[in-house]
Amino acid sequence: MKKILLKTENLSKSFSSGGNLQHVLKNIDLELYQGDFTVIMGASGAGKSTLLYALSGMDTPSLGTITFGERRISSLNQDELAVFRREHCGFVFQQIYLIDGMSVMDNVLSAGLLTDKDKKAIILRAKELFANVGISEETQNKFPAQISGGEAQRAGMVRALINSPEILFADEPTGALNSKTGLDVLDTLTRFNEEGQSIVMVTHDMRSARRGSRILYLKDGVIMGECDLGKYARQDDAARQEKLASFLAEMGW
Amino acid sequence: MEKSILLARSNLRRAKGQTAAIIALIFLAALMLNLWLMLSMDYRQNFRRCHDRLNAEHVTMVIDGDTSDMRKFVTDTLKEDRRTAEFFLDSILHMVGSFEYNGGEMNSELIFMEKEDALSRRIGKIEIIEDSSYTKGVYMPVLYRSDDVAVGKTVELSVGGRKMSYTVCGFFNSAMTGSHNCSMCGVLLTRDCYQELEEEGYAPRATLCSIRLHDKEESEDYDAMLKDAVSARYPAARTANNTYAMVSQSRYISQMICSGIMSAMACFILIIALVVIASNIINYIQENMKNLGALKAVGYTSRLLIGSLQMQFTGIALIVAWIGAGVSYVLFPFINEMMISQTGIPYEIRFLPAPFFLTLAVLGGTVSCVVWMSSRRIRNVEPIVALRQGIQTHTFKQNHVPLDRTRTPLNLALALKTTMSGVKHNVTICITMFVLSLVAVFSGLMVRNMIMDSEPFLDMVVGEVADSCINIQAEAEEGFLTEMNADERVQKVYLYHSLQATHTGGDVLMATIADDFSKVNNQKVMIEGRFPKYDNEIVIAAKYASEKGLKVGDEIGLTAGGRQGCYIISGFVQISNNLGKDCLLTREGYERLGELENTSYYLNLRDDTDIEAFNAEMKERFGGNVNATIDINATVQSGASVYVSLMKIIVIAVLVLSVLVITFVLYLLVRTMVSNKKRDYGILKALGFTTGQLICQTALSFMPAVILSTIAGVTVCSFIINPLMALFLRNIGIVKSTFTVPVWYNILAGMGMILSAFLIACLLSLKIKKITPRALLAGE
Repeated sequence: MKKILLKTENLSKSFSSGGNLQHVLKNIDLELYQGDFTVIMGASGAGKSTLLYALSGMDTPSLGTITFGERRISSLNQDELAVFRREHCGFVFQQIYLIDGMSVMDNVLSAGLLTDKDKKAIILRAKELFANVGISEETQNKFPAQISGGEAQRAGMVRALINSPEILFADEPTGALNSKTGLDVLDTLTRFNEEGQSIVMVTHDMRSARRGSRILYLKDGVIMGECDLGKYARQDDAARQEKLASFLAEMGW
Repeated sequence: MEKSILLARSNLRRAKGQTAAIIALIFLAALMLNLWLMLSMDYRQNFRRCHDRLNAEHVTMVIDGDTSDMRKFVTDTLKEDRRTAEFFLDSILHMVGSFEYNGGEMNSELIFMEKEDALSRRIGKIEIIEDSSYTKGVYMPVLYRSDDVAVGKTVELSVGGRKMSYTVCGFFNSAMTGSHNCSMCGVLLTRDCYQELEEEGYAPRATLCSIRLHDKEESEDYDAMLKDAVSARYPAARTANNTYAMVSQSRYISQMICSGIMSAMACFILIIALVVIASNIINYIQENMKNLGALKAVGYTSRLLIGSLQMQFTGIALIVAWIGAGVSYVLFPFINEMMISQTGIPYEIRFLPAPFFLTLAVLGGTVSCVVWMSSRRIRNVEPIVALRQGIQTHTFKQNHVPLDRTRTPLNLALALKTTMSGVKHNVTICITMFVLSLVAVFSGLMVRNMIMDSEPFLDMVVGEVADSCINIQAEAEEGFLTEMNADERVQKVYLYHSLQATHTGGDVLMATIADDFSKVNNQKVMIEGRFPKYDNEIVIAAKYASEKGLKVGDEIGLTAGGRQGCYIISGFVQISNNLGKDCLLTREGYERLGELENTSYYLNLRDDTDIEAFNAEMKERFGGNVNATIDINATVQSGASVYVSLMKIIVIAVLVLSVLVITFVLYLLVRTMVSNKKRDYGILKALGFTTGQLICQTALSFMPAVILSTIAGVTVCSFIINPLMALFLRNIGIVKSTFTVPVWYNILAGMGMILSAFLIACLLSLKIKKITPRALLAGE
């Protein structure tokens, strides 16, 4: 029996636009499990990013609840959400979002040092993670504008993992990268997941989605169905592709 | 042109907040600039206009006695002198007198004139400013119009030891006798009151000589000539006199102070506004590199882009300067009221084109120059490079405060990173805080030396202060001194007598004579050398010495009463009573020129002594031998209260202005920073930074520049404030300012400025609260 990390009940999100209320998420009941590589797919405007923001505490739902362990995060205020994010979540963004004025190492440490952990231990972990993703010491001391997109995204992953988050959220992590670099990033994410890291990733790219263990398909703010790829070995890419393709075809992708 | 207007409008729409703050700064600068220009260019001219309108005297002398022999002598003397243009002699009553004013006692040589006679004078005309239906009473100079001295109220004049009560019928204006600063003060009595005073004999009859000269520049020499002639012929006659040169300066001391402070404030605010505009433009170019590149790519020229910035900032400056200069006319009546309380000359407010257009020209010109200088970089923006590189906010030269190596707490370390990468912001802050430090130190100096305790101000500006001054006939001097030395209420009595003498080949000086200068209360007036000890020594005013190139050890000639003597300069003194034209002599030294017919003695009395009662007792005890008595403390306090009130208003005004300026500058900087770092704030929030942490980081990032420039500013200004004050007060004879610098006030003010800057920055950074990580991710 897998441990539930995050749970939503009747999760809804609406936006007011030009006097009209747009219901982007509609009564979503969802459970996310520890160790899963959950992929949220769907067409543009389906609400997948909105769901990710809500799950990660970046945004608050209009209705419904989100529970992280025993804690109801949907009722936290902005500062409490910030503390929740720093302690339990890690983020990898499509646009990477490293801070221009800081070196790569400082970008990572600015997130790491937010927690009360020992500074030496954080620096050590940063170095281990950098080594893990293949970023040299020289690159660590460079500024974001001085490194490649792939290096930047891998640095972004180090930043996301520096606090050993219980859950890593990735929003289209390969969206801004070329094919080869994107593949490297997916390999890194897969490796971390294999080491036990729970991941929730939003993507509309089948190649990325194949890395997941559980695929959720979102349409018009509602989870239309899910596909379990966990039973297939990571190396069995053909089987994964076939299963996913048939699932997506079923969902009308 | 049309394209430039479109661009300027677009820039304005995008930076409403920054534009509002720049508008506020330019508005304040224009307001202060126009007020200063009006005060300095026209207000002083008001005396000349008033003098011309009233066909006023260039030299005025009142001589006790009005015998036909005296009149003939004076008439002949005046006619003989070719410098005389016209003159007029009238019969008046003259006596040193006093009345309550401003919570103190105003002592002056009172010139009592019969109202109708006074109004018919050809020279030195008198104009009624406020009249009433009262037919018996007194008309006072308009300077003294106040809550206590008002039409229908009773004013008590102490004349010759007797208190006379008069109903105030109205107020008048007179160029040369309308203020205690004129060294004589006119009082108009209705016919019956005048006759009563004449019959009672408390104020003797006197001759008032009103003389107009062909050249008013010669007023002081002419005055000395006349005084010498009269004292040679009538040595026992008491006289009082004034000149155009002396009155035109002394009636405008507050105008000089106020105008000086306004000029300084106007310059400070203008400098800050210009620095802020320059910083704004440089920042605009950096942040809009891509847009500028795109505009160039579609055919906009550098000239067009610079033109749009010129239109935006210079246009705003001109419009706001026009409004600011206009609004200054709303404030001017209040300043005018303050000024009139010292000048005593009504000033009619009207539109002054020269200061107005000069304000527009100065603001428009300086802003245009700064815009041109700071926007020249646009010419170097290559369209392709700009489009490719986009925003480049970091030079990548150095990673300041690396987080893996620093021991600084995270939030402070991140704040320091921001500080180190914002050189332009730091420069703006440093200039602003340095200027404000000067304002704070100046305010502290005034609070400590003028408002809380006026003694240092009085010591420096008034010179010698004692409790009582008694002017006694020379023949009664010995008896007077014997009695004073025996009187247990008298702690100290010493000769301190002033009269005029002429520096041979130079100006008329006010000579102060003492038997022993070690007895004078205010020893601080001596700023170089020592007081005169021997009869061949003289001390002269430092300002006069510097104007004439005189040094300690030089020999100068002095003329008085037709005799001449040579003296060696033993030191320099600063006294502003005669606007820096003073000298000190020992009694023996003066007696080389002539005998003293009457002598003024200063007395320090025991604290529990009623000075007024003591003075009255002296008059009674020595009868006709006492010419005049003055309650010096009350007189000085009354006179000083005008300046203290003025300074209170100035201090409050400059402090309020400082708070406004620091708020506007920080608003601009914080707004720019929040706008520039919006993305960074979104990322940091997404990573788990709270709004409070980011606000604190932002406010802290300004603090290194604020703290360093405030400490440097307060320290440097504490040392330079006295020399600056001396420069500022040089016109009234002060060459060395000896004000006490209030160290603790300055430290507290500095800490207050730092704390205020931090709090203001925190408040202004609250905008960060609105930045959400979701907005960043959604690309809003």
